[in-house]
Amino acid sequence: MKKLLLASTILAGLTGAAFADGHEVKMGVILGFTGPIESLTPDMAAAAELAMKETAGKVLDGKTVVSVRADSTCTDAAAATAAAERLITAEGVVGIMGADCSGVTTAIANNVGVPNGVTMVSPSATSPALTTIEDKGFFFRTAPSDARQGQVLADVLKDKGITKVAVTYTNNDYGKGLAEAFGAAFKATGGEIAISAAHEDGKADYSAEVGALSAAGAEHLAVFGYVDQGGKGIIQTSLDTGAFDKFILADGMIGESLIKNIGKDLEGTIGTLPGSESDGAAKFKEVATAGGLAKNDGPFMPESYDAAALMILAMEAAKSTDRAAIQSKMMDVANAPGEKILPGELAKALEILKSGGQVDYEGASNVTMTEVGEAAGSYKELVVKDGKFETVKVR
Amino acid sequence: MIDFLNALTLFANFVLIPGLAYGSQLALGALGITLLYGILRFGNFAHGDTMAFGTMTVVLITWYFQSIGISFGPLPTALLALPFGIALTALFLILSDKLVYKHYREVKAPPIRMVMASVGVMFVMNGVVRFIIGPNDQNFMDGERFIMKARAFKNATGLNEGLAIKSSQLLTVVIAIVLVSALFWFLNKTRTGKSMRAFSDNEDLALLSGISPQRVVLVTWILVGALATVAGVLYGLDKSFKPFTYFQLLLPMFAAAIVGGVGHPVGAILGGFVVAFSEVTVTYAYKKFLTYLLPTEYAPDGLMQLLSTDYKFAVSFIILVVVLLVKPTGLLKGKVI
Amino acid sequence: MSNSLRALLGFGTFAILLYLVGEYQSWNVALAILNLCIISGVMALGVNIQWGYAGLFNVGIMGFAALGGVAAVLVSQPVIEAAWAAGGSGVLISGVMLLIVIGLGFFTAKRLQAGWFRTLSMVVIILGGYFAIRQVYDPAVLAIEADNPAKSGYLGGLGMPIILSWIVGGLFAAGVAWIIGKISLGLRSDYLAIATLGISEILIAMMKNEDWLTRGVKNVTGLSRPVPYELAIQDNPRFIEWVEWFNSSQLAGFTGEAKVAALRSLVVEGSSIFVKLCYAGLFLSVLVIVLILCVTALASPWGRMVRAIRDNEVSAAAMGKNITRRHLQIFVLGSAVVGIAGAMLTTLDGQFTPSTYQPLRYTFLIWVMVIVGGSGNNLGSVLGAFLIWFIWIEAEPAGNWLMQYATQWMEEGSGLKRHLLDSAQHMRLFIMGVVMLTVMRFSPGGILPERTNTTTIKA
Repeated sequence: MKKLLLASTILAGLTGAAFADGHEVKMGVILGFTGPIESLTPDMAAAAELAMKETAGKVLDGKTVVSVRADSTCTDAAAATAAAERLITAEGVVGIMGADCSGVTTAIANNVGVPNGVTMVSPSATSPALTTIEDKGFFFRTAPSDARQGQVLADVLKDKGITKVAVTYTNNDYGKGLAEAFGAAFKATGGEIAISAAHEDGKADYSAEVGALSAAGAEHLAVFGYVDQGGKGIIQTSLDTGAFDKFILADGMIGESLIKNIGKDLEGTIGTLPGSESDGAAKFKEVATAGGLAKNDGPFMPESYDAAALMILAMEAAKSTDRAAIQSKMMDVANAPGEKILPGELAKALEILKSGGQVDYEGASNVTMTEVGEAAGSYKELVVKDGKFETVKVR
Repeated sequence: MIDFLNALTLFANFVLIPGLAYGSQLALGALGITLLYGILRFGNFAHGDTMAFGTMTVVLITWYFQSIGISFGPLPTALLALPFGIALTALFLILSDKLVYKHYREVKAPPIRMVMASVGVMFVMNGVVRFIIGPNDQNFMDGERFIMKARAFKNATGLNEGLAIKSSQLLTVVIAIVLVSALFWFLNKTRTGKSMRAFSDNEDLALLSGISPQRVVLVTWILVGALATVAGVLYGLDKSFKPFTYFQLLLPMFAAAIVGGVGHPVGAILGGFVVAFSEVTVTYAYKKFLTYLLPTEYAPDGLMQLLSTDYKFAVSFIILVVVLLVKPTGLLKGKVI
Repeated sequence: MSNSLRALLGFGTFAILLYLVGEYQSWNVALAILNLCIISGVMALGVNIQWGYAGLFNVGIMGFAALGGVAAVLVSQPVIEAAWAAGGSGVLISGVMLLIVIGLGFFTAKRLQAGWFRTLSMVVIILGGYFAIRQVYDPAVLAIEADNPAKSGYLGGLGMPIILSWIVGGLFAAGVAWIIGKISLGLRSDYLAIATLGISEILIAMMKNEDWLTRGVKNVTGLSRPVPYELAIQDNPRFIEWVEWFNSSQLAGFTGEAKVAALRSLVVEGSSIFVKLCYAGLFLSVLVIVLILCVTALASPWGRMVRAIRDNEVSAAAMGKNITRRHLQIFVLGSAVVGIAGAMLTTLDGQFTPSTYQPLRYTFLIWVMVIVGGSGNNLGSVLGAFLIWFIWIEAEPAGNWLMQYATQWMEEGSGLKRHLLDSAQHMRLFIMGVVMLTVMRFSPGGILPERTNTTTIKA
C-alpha cells in the first residue's frame, strides 16, 4: 500500500508542475467565490485571467498560462486548505493567485503553500499580521497592509479638520485590524475616537449598533466593512434614523453598488482605496474594457491583474515553470532596475526577459515590493460627488 | 422641558419604534412555532427557513408584478403578492407533512424524533431557497419608504433629535394586529378553530368526539404557513431578505415562544415583545439620553451601555435561561391553546 | 445482512473511494480527507454517546468543538509577559469577583425564604456584582488589548505541547456541559435542544469578542504542532535518502539534473504526505481509544442501565435509577469527547478562527453523520462520519461536474444556465437534508443499527 502511495505520488509529480510538457501551465486562482465577499471575487478572478489571456502562447516559447479556480470561502480555514491542497497536489499549479481574506490566506500559506514551496500572491489580504508570518519568502501580496491604510485615513481626516469620529468595523480580522491601525494613527494626530464598535455581517437589523454609535456623540462615522454586507446596513440605518449623514469609508466599502443602493444621501462621503491615478491605473481600465470584462475599476481588480502578471513574468525570468524558480525571481521583476512595464505591455516584458533583459513591473497598482514581499502601496483619496466616487488625490 | 422632549424623541427613535416593529415580527414568528407546538407537539427547527421560503415566493411574485407593471400605489407591491406566497408556502408545508411528519405521527414516535425530522426539513429548505434565489441580500421594498423622516421632524419641531418612522414599521404593526385578531377570532369562534383547541387540549378526547385529525393538521399547516410568510415578508420589507438571517431568527423566536409559555398564543405575542425590547434596551447606549435628562455636572462620561451590541442576540438567550430557571412554564402558563 | 458484514462493506466502500481519490486526484488530498474523517468520527462518537445512549438532543456541538479550539490556543501559545503585566491581575481579580458573586447568589437562593425579599436581594447581588466586576474588568481588558494589537493583544497561553490541549479541551467542554446540563436537563427534552443551540452561539460570540483571551476575530495563527514541519523534513538528509530508496525504481530513469529535480519534487510531495500520515496516526489512536472505551462502557452494566433509562424512563425511575443524574453524566461525557475532537481539529488547522464555527457545518452535519451511520451504534457513528465527510468534501467537484453535464444542452451564456452553475454548491445542503430524512424514515437505525444483546423472540 505504501509503495503504491509514493508510486502514485511520483505519477502526480510527473504529470504535474515540475515536468509539465504540454503547452499549458496551470495557475491557481483561490478566491472566496462563496461567502462574505462573493460579489467582489468574480471580477477579481476575471482580472487575473485577463493577464493570462494577454500572454497566451507567449510564455516560455509558446506556452499558455491557464487558471484553475477554487473556492476559499473567505471564512472556513479547513475548506480553503482542502481547496488549496487539491490545486497544488492534484492539479499541479505552479503558483497561486490568492487567497483573498486574511484568515484563510494565512491558513493556506502555513499549511499548504509554504510546505509545498508554492508562490502565493494575494491581491487583497491586507491584515498587518501577514507581514510577519513564517513564509520562507513564498508569500507576496500586491495589496498594501492595513497598517498603511489606517495611517492614510488618519491623514485624510486631519487634513479635513475632522477631530472626532465614531468607528464601526466588520467583526473579522480585516475590520478589527484596520480599526486598530486607524485608531492608533488617528490618536497620534490628535484625533479622538468616540466609540469603536464591531458589527456582525449578515444580520438583518443594525438599529442597536447605530443607536450605540450615535450615542457617543461624534458627527462622522467611519465604516470599515464590506460594501454588500453589514457596512451597507449600517449606513442605511444611520441615514434612516438620522443618526449620521457624514461617512468615511475604507477600501472594502468602495463600490458603485453602494451609491446605487443608497442614493444621493452619500454625497460628500470620503473614502480611501489602494491604487493610484498613475498611467498604470488608466492603462488597466483600457485593457480591461478591451478584454471584455464586465467592470474595469472594481475593488482589488488591478491588484489581481498584477498578482497574476507578476508570477507570469517571474516564470519567464526564471526560464522555467519550477515552483522554486518562480519564487526566486519575483522580487527581480517587481522592482527596479529594468524597463517599466504597464498593463497591456506584458508581451513586451516577456520579450525583454527572454532576451535576457530586466523589467520593473509597475502594473495597474504601481507595484513595488518591500523586502518582505508586499506592496508599499499608494492610496487614492476619494469623495462621492454627483453620484460617483471621484479621486481627489493620491497618497 | 426641551431637553426632556429631546430625550423622549431619542428614546422613541432608537428604542421604542424599532423595538415595536421587531417585536411584532418576532411575535408572528413565535405564534407559528407555538401553534405547531400546541397542536402537533414538536418544536419546529425549520420555522426560520419556512419564513425564508415564504418570503422568497413573495419576492419572486413581486418581481413578476413589477415587471408587468402592477404596483400598489404608495404601499409595497409585496403586499399584493402576499396571498399567493402564503398559498405556495402552505402547499409546500402540507407536502412536507405528507412526506415527512405524517409517518412519525402515525408510528407515534417520541416528539424528539419529530424535532430531528424538522432539522432534516430545515436542511432541505435551506438548500431549496438558496438554490432558487441565491444566498444574497434581496431588497424588494418599493413604494413610499418613510412616513416621517428624521430631518423633516427636526425642522418641524425644532428639536435636536430626529424621529424617523418607516412605512414598513407602521405596516408591520398594523398587519400584525390584524392578523393576530383574525387568528384569535378563528380559534375562539369558528368550529374548526374550536376543534383545533380541543385537539390541542386532549387529543384522545377530541378524536372520540368526532374531530377529524387530518383536517386539524391541514388547517394548522395552512395557519403556520400564513404566519411564517407574513412574518418573513414584514421582516424583509423592514430590513432586507437574506436566507441566512432568517435561519438566525430561529433562536429569538423560540425564546419568545418559550418565554411566553409554549403552546400559548397570547404568550407568544408577549414573549416576542419581551425579547425584542430587552435586546434593544440592554444594548442601547444611554449616554446621550442621560445627558439630556441629567444636570450638566452629572452628565456621564462612559457610554452607559449595559451590554455591548456584540452580545445582542445573547440577550434573548439569557432571558430564556432565566425564565426556564425561575418559571419553566413561561410567563403565561403554557401548553394550552 | 448481519451488522459485521455491513460494517465491512461500509468501511470497504470508504477505502475504495479514498483510493480512487488518491489515484485520480492526489494522495495528499485523500489523506487530508481521511484526517478530517477521523476527527469527525470522534465528534460523532461524542454525539452518539448523548443521543444514542440517552436520547439527549444536543444542538450545541459547535460550541463544544470551539471550546476544544480555545484549549489548543491556551495550552500551546507562549505566555505573553507584557500583556500579563498590563492587565493580567485585573482579569484574575474580576474572575475571583465573579466567583464571589455566584457564591453569594447561591447562598441567598438557598438560605432565604422565597418571597419578594429574596428576589430583591438576588437582583441587587447580580446587578451590583455585574457593575462592580466591570469596573475592574474593563480597564484590564483594554490594557491587554492595547499591548501590540497587530501581533498579540491577548494573554497568550501556557507554552506547553499542543497535544496536551486535547485533554484540556475535553475538560473545558465537560465543565461547560456540566453547567448547561444542571440548568436544562431537568426540563423537557426539547428545551435542551434550544438551550444548547443558544449556548453554542453565545460561546462563539464570546470567542469573537473577548480579544484578551483568544485574540477574537483577529485569529491566532501559527499554532505549534505535535508533528514535524514539512520544511524541516525536506532538508533532512535521512528523509531524502529514504525517499530516494523508496522510489529508486522510478528514479532510475533519470540522470543528472533531471534526477535532482525529480527527487526534489518527490521529497516535497513526500514530506507533505509524511506529515499527514503522522497526524493520521495520532488521530487514529485517539479514535481507537475513544471507540474502545465507548464500546466497553455500552456493554457494561452501566451501559445497560443507560439504555434502560432511554427506552423507558418511567420504569427505570421505578427501579430506583436517578435519571437526571445519569443524563447529566452522559451529557458531560459526550461533550468532553466533542471537545477533544475540537482541539484536534484546531491542531490540524494550525490556527484558531472563531468565525469558522457555523452551526450547519459543526452541529447539523455531525448530526447527519450519527443518524446515517447508526445512532446507538458506536462503530456505526464512525462509519457515518467517514462517509458523510467524504460526500461533503467531494460534493463540490461532483456537483459542479453534474451541473455542467446537466446544462450541456443549454445555450452558452443563457441566464438559466449561469444560474444553475452558480447554484450548484447549494445542492450540498439539499442533498444532506434528503439523505438524513430518507435514512430516518426508511432505516431509522442507520447503516449499522444498534445491536441489542437480548435473544430475539420469534413471533
